[in-house]
This record gives sequence, structure tokens and C-alpha cells, in this order.
Amino acid sequence: MTRPPSHGIRSARLAGVLLLGLVLVLLEGCATTPRLSESAVQALPSRALIEDVPFHAQRDYQCGPASLAMALNHQGVEASVDELIPQVFLPGREGSVQPEMLAAVRRHGRIPFVIDNRFEALLTELADGQPVVVLQNLALPAWPLWHYAVAIGYDRDANELILHSGEEAERIESFRRFDATWARSDRWAFVALPPGDLPVGIDADDAIAATADFERVQGVEAALPGWEALTQRFPGAAMAHFALGNARHATGDRRGAIHAFRRAVAVDDELAAGWLNLGLALRQQGESDAARAALRHAAALPGPWQSRARDALAEAGESDR
Amino acid sequence: MKTFRRFISPLLIVAMVLGSLPVAAAPQASDGGLIGTQAALDAERTTDARERIHEVLARDDVREQLLAQGVDPADVEARVAALSDDEAHQMADQLDEMPAGASVVGALFAVFVILLVTDILGLTNVFPFTR
Repeated sequence: MTRPPSHGIRSARLAGVLLLGLVLVLLEGCATTPRLSESAVQALPSRALIEDVPFHAQRDYQCGPASLAMALNHQGVEASVDELIPQVFLPGREGSVQPEMLAAVRRHGRIPFVIDNRFEALLTELADGQPVVVLQNLALPAWPLWHYAVAIGYDRDANELILHSGEEAERIESFRRFDATWARSDRWAFVALPPGDLPVGIDADDAIAATADFERVQGVEAALPGWEALTQRFPGAAMAHFALGNARHATGDRRGAIHAFRRAVAVDDELAAGWLNLGLALRQQGESDAARAALRHAAALPGPWQSRARDALAEAGESDR
Repeated sequence: MKTFRRFISPLLIVAMVLGSLPVAAAPQASDGGLIGTQAALDAERTTDARERIHEVLARDDVREQLLAQGVDPADVEARVAALSDDEAHQMADQLDEMPAGASVVGALFAVFVILLVTDILGLTNVFPFTR
């Protein structure tokens, strides 16, 4: 326990140097220029800039409403920053939170799709001509400085991203610095699209959930083109066909609804709700034999709809005798 | 927080099951008795009645939180109505921890210096003059 003092000082100094080195390595580790996959490198143009995204400079803490206004205006929605402030701004937090940003997009008749949290997903949307609202933490996790901005382009040769951000239009940020600040929000980003359009890179389940959430707020008629687009993009998603069937049925297109329900159960013959709705829709059309066949399928499948399917089957059987 | 939640959840569940079973159990149906899309999605995701009860309550919770955050009462209803079930859930559970995009930072001098250094290293983007 009685080491010579000089030795103690030296090892303390050594430890300090090592610690500093470690900290630098760690910090560097999270701030390298993001790498793109081989396929993305080939598919993406080397630069992209969406020219016609209107710019709204933020005032005070209003980067949320300003970013929303830019994204919505680009989609042809006439929404001013002043109109959006009471829809998303939280005075107590002096800012806007993510769920309300998405909710406000719905209120203006557009579907918010949160995109994949990868750098190349962001570039893919930009290359496709869609401005992307991003959430950055401009400072460090311990003293966050959360900030919404709208990415409008990139230049892969210069490794730069172009954003409408804060009070600066077409601000240029290096990929490296941008990704360091974006990664702190877990690379959260969304695009706002009219029903009927889908982001390039989205999976079926996320797209279905986004469209269903939109339908809840804006109604079936508004969501119908969204379901049509979903069934075309993801013909193998039974739930998309099912939802399309419901939307068509609710808007009076019974033939079309039956067609969609049939597609749903053709894709997934264990979709009890699909069989049940197919049976009910067929019965309304007076096709009782086909209705009973569908309801029999539904009644045979265990799950939350089984008892209703059995009831419907019993009714269909009785009314026919 | 986790343990607190673990403790409080069973209590809440029991209380809520008794209170709101009819509301939660009523299946959502579109016209003609068809199963609605949202109901089918919910059934796919959660067969758990507890989850659905929680969602009914979440919106009430969010309403109160928005008012507490100083949102104009005239705006609250429309804001809550535009949230999805999941979002209402998240807001009810963790509004306080949620990042709020704002662009202000606590102006402590030590923090200023640290951020200045990290800005120069290209890790952060607080001060425009470091670029």
C-alpha cells in the first residue's frame, strides 16, 4: 500500500490520458459520416434538392409549427404558422412534442408516415421529392436542445444535407454533424403525404397503421384512396385488402367491398374478420349461399370474432329456411 | 418508475375493469354489423382487454395534461381527437420525458463551454459561428 509518490502521480496521469482518449474515441464513435449500403449508393442520385418547399422562419420556440407549415404547404395545404401554433405548441414545455406533430398533419388531411430510422431512408425520400421533417437534438443528451427542421435535399459528393432550419433557409449541414444531432432523437423523421401516396421505404404494417389512424380522424371517404394505394403496393397484406373492403362498404360500394374481402381471405385464409365481413356483405347483397360459406369459415376460426361469426351464421341459416 | 408502475398497474386495472368494462367490451362495428378496421387491428395487436381500457383512459389523461401545459381549452378537444390511440397512450404515460422541439438551451456557462467544444468537434450544432 506504500507506493512511491512519483509512481502514484505517474499512474494518475496515465489514467487521465487514457480516460481522455477513451472519451474522444467514444465521442468520435458516435459522430462518423454515416455510411450508406451498397444498394443505396447505386439507387440514389448523387444529389437532390426539392426547390419549391416554402420557407417559414421560426419565431421564439416555434420550430415545430414552422416545420409543419413548410411540409404542409409543399403538399398544397394552406396552413400558416400562426394557425398551426395553437394546434401543436405546448406553452408549458415551450415546444412541440412528436405525437402532436403527427396529429396536426392528420388534421390537415395529410397522412404522417414516420420513416425508417436510417440515414439512407432519409436520402431516399429526398431523392423521391418529399421534404422530410426531422427531429434533432442540437446539443448533448444531458442538456438537450430539441429542434425540428425540414430536410429538402442533399449532396453526396460534398457529404452535405440541405435543410430549412430555424431562421435559415437552405442551410447546409455536413452529413456527419447532421447525423450526430439526428441520432439523438433515434433518427426520428416523417413525411406528410396525401392519401393515395406512400413513402418509398415503408413496411406494410406501418403504412396500414398510419392509414388507419388517419381514417379515425378524417373519416372513411378521405382514407379510401390510401387503402387503394396500399393494396396495390402490398398485395400480400391481407389487412390492407380488409380495410379497403370496409372503406368501400362504408362509402356504398358493396360489390367492390366484397371483392376486397375476397382478396383479403385469399391472401390469408385465417383472417377471421375478413371471412366474417365477407359473409355479412354477401348476405346484404342477397347471396345467401356464398354468405353462409364465408361465415362458416369465420365461425371455424378461434379468436375474438368467433362468437359473432357463429351468431351471424345461425341468423343466415334461419332466415333461409 | 418501473417498479412504481408495476405496483400501480394491477390496482388501476382492477379499478378500471370494474368501472369501464361495458365501454371497453363494446365491439366497434361499422354499418351492417361489419368489423371495423380499427377494431380488427386492435384485436390483432392486443387481445388484452386491459390495454384497451387503458386507451380509453389515456385520452382523458392527455386532455388534463394539455390544459396543465397551458393549452387554450378551446383547442384541447381537437388536439386530443387527432391523436392515434398509440400516441394518446404515449402522451398520457410520458409527456414530461418527451422531447419538445423548441431550440432553447439552459444558459449555464459550463454548459456553454462544453457545447462550444463539442460544436467545434462537430458533434453538436448549437452555435452558428462554429461552422
